[in-house]
Amino acid sequence: MMSNENRMTIDGAEVTFQPGETVLEVARRQGAFVPTLCYDERLDPYGSCRLCVVEVEGRRLPASSCTLKAEPGMEIRTGSDPIRKMQSTLMEMVLSENPDDECPRCRDIGTCEVHDLAEKLEVGRERFLGATSNASKDDSNPFLLRDYDRCISCYRCVRICDEVEADHAITMTGRGWNKGIATAFDGGLMDSDCTLCGQCIYTCPTGALADKKMVGQGEIPGEVEVTRSVCPYCGTGCSINLHSRDGKMIGVTPVLDGPVNEGALCVKGQFGFDFVNSGDRLTRPLIRKNGELTPVSWDEAFDYTAQKLMSVRADHGPKAFYAIASGRAPGEGSYMLQKFTRAVMNSNQVDNCSRG
Amino acid sequence: MKSQVEVQDPITDRILDEWLDEPAPFLSIIHAIQDHYGYLPEPALRRVSQRMDIPISDLYGTVTFYHFFQLEPKATPDIRVCENSACCLHDLDQLCEEVAGADLGIEHSGKIEKISCPGRCDVPVPLLIGEKFLHGAKPGAIGEAVEATMPLPPETGQQECLFRHIRDGVSDLAIAIEKGAWKSPLLAASDPEKLISELKTSGLTGRGGAGFPTGVKWEVVRNENRGPKWIICNADESEVGCFKDRVLMAHTPHALLEGMTCAGLVTGAEVGIIYLRWEYPEILESLQAAIDEATAAGYLGEDACGSGRPFRIVIRRGAGAYICGEETSLLNSLEGKHPFPREKPPFPTTHGLFQQPTIVNNVETFCAVPPIVEHGGQWFSDLGLGEQNGMRIFSVSGDIQRPGNYEVPVGTPLRQLLVEFAGGPLPGRDIQGVTMAGVSGGLVGAEDLDVRLDPASLDGLGAMLGAGGIVVHDDTRCMIKAARESMHFLKEESCGKCFPCRIGTTRMTEILDELGSGQPVREGIMEEIEDLEEVLGETSACGLGLAAPYITRMLKKYWPDQIQQKLNGSTQASEGADDE
Repeated sequence: MMSNENRMTIDGAEVTFQPGETVLEVARRQGAFVPTLCYDERLDPYGSCRLCVVEVEGRRLPASSCTLKAEPGMEIRTGSDPIRKMQSTLMEMVLSENPDDECPRCRDIGTCEVHDLAEKLEVGRERFLGATSNASKDDSNPFLLRDYDRCISCYRCVRICDEVEADHAITMTGRGWNKGIATAFDGGLMDSDCTLCGQCIYTCPTGALADKKMVGQGEIPGEVEVTRSVCPYCGTGCSINLHSRDGKMIGVTPVLDGPVNEGALCVKGQFGFDFVNSGDRLTRPLIRKNGELTPVSWDEAFDYTAQKLMSVRADHGPKAFYAIASGRAPGEGSYMLQKFTRAVMNSNQVDNCSRG
Repeated sequence: MKSQVEVQDPITDRILDEWLDEPAPFLSIIHAIQDHYGYLPEPALRRVSQRMDIPISDLYGTVTFYHFFQLEPKATPDIRVCENSACCLHDLDQLCEEVAGADLGIEHSGKIEKISCPGRCDVPVPLLIGEKFLHGAKPGAIGEAVEATMPLPPETGQQECLFRHIRDGVSDLAIAIEKGAWKSPLLAASDPEKLISELKTSGLTGRGGAGFPTGVKWEVVRNENRGPKWIICNADESEVGCFKDRVLMAHTPHALLEGMTCAGLVTGAEVGIIYLRWEYPEILESLQAAIDEATAAGYLGEDACGSGRPFRIVIRRGAGAYICGEETSLLNSLEGKHPFPREKPPFPTTHGLFQQPTIVNNVETFCAVPPIVEHGGQWFSDLGLGEQNGMRIFSVSGDIQRPGNYEVPVGTPLRQLLVEFAGGPLPGRDIQGVTMAGVSGGLVGAEDLDVRLDPASLDGLGAMLGAGGIVVHDDTRCMIKAARESMHFLKEESCGKCFPCRIGTTRMTEILDELGSGQPVREGIMEEIEDLEEVLGETSACGLGLAAPYITRMLKKYWPDQIQQKLNGSTQASEGADDE
């Protein structure tokens, strides 16, 4: 039974919480609408956008719920009229910071938190208009679009690079209105410690960061199908979403609840899917016949391979056989390979490319 | 990773070798590199990154935060001109044009860089070239060096507390001792509980603006079991119109060192750090000399004041950032982190420098400790008028006969300070209003000049007492412009982390520009101001943004006619436009 000590009130309802939980976490679990822009559950609480403010009984000023730890007996109100009004004003202020020339939602595949939140709070880019901040950066890297005209300076990209990826490739620079996001000495990503993992793209709540390969996909007609899968590159088994239209792959996005990666991917898993649509890709077995690679059935290919392996063992002995398992193979596959090498080929020469 | 390639830079290595074992060495290391090279070369920063284990991107971002760290070499220094406080009452455009081409006795580039208030409001308009301050507007003295001003003696014969010996030459240790300096730390060490109780009785509160009871703060740190504890003096006096800490440090440095030593011996901290704003280079020198002198005499060191316990004091120099006067930004700055404010709680008393228990107090607060130990908490408390406790120093500047620092009892009417102490307005003029706190406390109009100078009375008006800087505006001034200049300062100094402050201070400045321009204004501009005030004043993450609405609220309260005039003017103008 939950101890009485871990009870608090959210919008009049008594709720329980786990020690260490923030008011935002508890409130959202209760189904309260608490907007955020600087929040990403994978990151340390930051408290910069202030959209998640709530009223706390006994406090003069509202508090940012993402940084406020739940305490026994707390009384929280999330959606009072004054709070909603301030959230709407804040959202209008956010919209005023960037130019209005194109909708960032269309950048890639329609994941713009700013757009969604503006719709939900029913505000537009009409008030507080003035100077716009930030400036786009030319960056010649092949994968990551950096368009800081769209940046709202929540620093989620900087924080995910530091806290999750530990690459520390980018930083916040300057101060106040003249702040920015840059690599050390303001060079391109390719000259920085960036590993082009793309995590910044998928925490960015606007279109400031985008997958270059997917830019414009949101504008093309036709349903985009999303298929949850596992990254084929290595044995880690990161969960990915494959995006396709008309049976053709257009991009990869990380799966936030992937049990292995929790939304993280590497440069290969994130951006290295071109081979899928390549004309050079092997799609069926081939056997060289009379100097020509000739398509054959799987049965024929297996028979041919088995026969050749047996003749190697017969003609040259077990030591002529040396198996190297691929790093992309899962544990089960690697197990089968060594079993095959020992039991069938009678060789102890087993290795794995990951060992090198 | 690319940043793992070993960088060679023997100069930087030597600097690192010298500093790395010192407490909170980050700022000193970066300054030493800049002093050597004239700027911060990339290889030097890469070397610092490697040896201090700070990612190079973070280090780069951090140094770009400050006004006075330079990433590019400059053959000759620019002329830096204050654009706030009393200085913006001058015609700065004309002044800049004149000095840019002038022979100022120091080689300069002829380029003008406007800077935030460097705390010389009593001698406007200061020009800063390299690390030298010159007069920019004093008739007949343009280009001459700015001298350290001494507080004028109170003409009314008013009793003083912190200033009681300031005109006696107590920056010299021997004279200071003669006047009773350096007695309090031993008393503090022998009975710490008594000192804390005297501090509580005295009613002394933080003089940096927040006004937290000093005795309570010291007690919390004393009762913490973790360590090492730290004593930090916030000498990043950056509030527009404030120059009291500069004068205290210049003329009575031993009172500060003594107060900090009391704090060290009471809490068990062994190191005190003075975070000194960059804009006080002459204080850096004189204060270090005072520390050296006190150390040589045994007041600081392994056996501080004969207490049997160690306490030493070091200076860390800021690099130009108002927000570093916010105590948690200051801590991040000392630690070499990006100087954004931290979320509170936890407070520095339990999780301060390097997450250890830390006292952060203002210069004036520490300076008040020795007289409290000497005469007792009740004595100090009784100095205040009525229910108020103690004395406070106010920096007065702007349209006033005798700009300077005045120490008056808490609760003194503002009018008395301005008229009796500071000599009143210039001949033939009337006071129209003053900025409070600096500027973050808003404005007070002529009709309320009888307000008493204590936190509650100012609160009652909807303004804030803050750090005690008062810039006087007479009846020739446009108060919309005064508000605009105050807001512009906050915009320039906003750290940029929290949305309401970063966007809000910018939009407020733009709106005040628009109102002051005489051109037609957008419809709904007053509603925008109101909504911005609400968001800034309720949701900002630290005091900078929270204070910004004081400015516009007080503008609307005292000078609605000036606003209406602009709004009417713009209505007429836009009607005229429609007719065409």
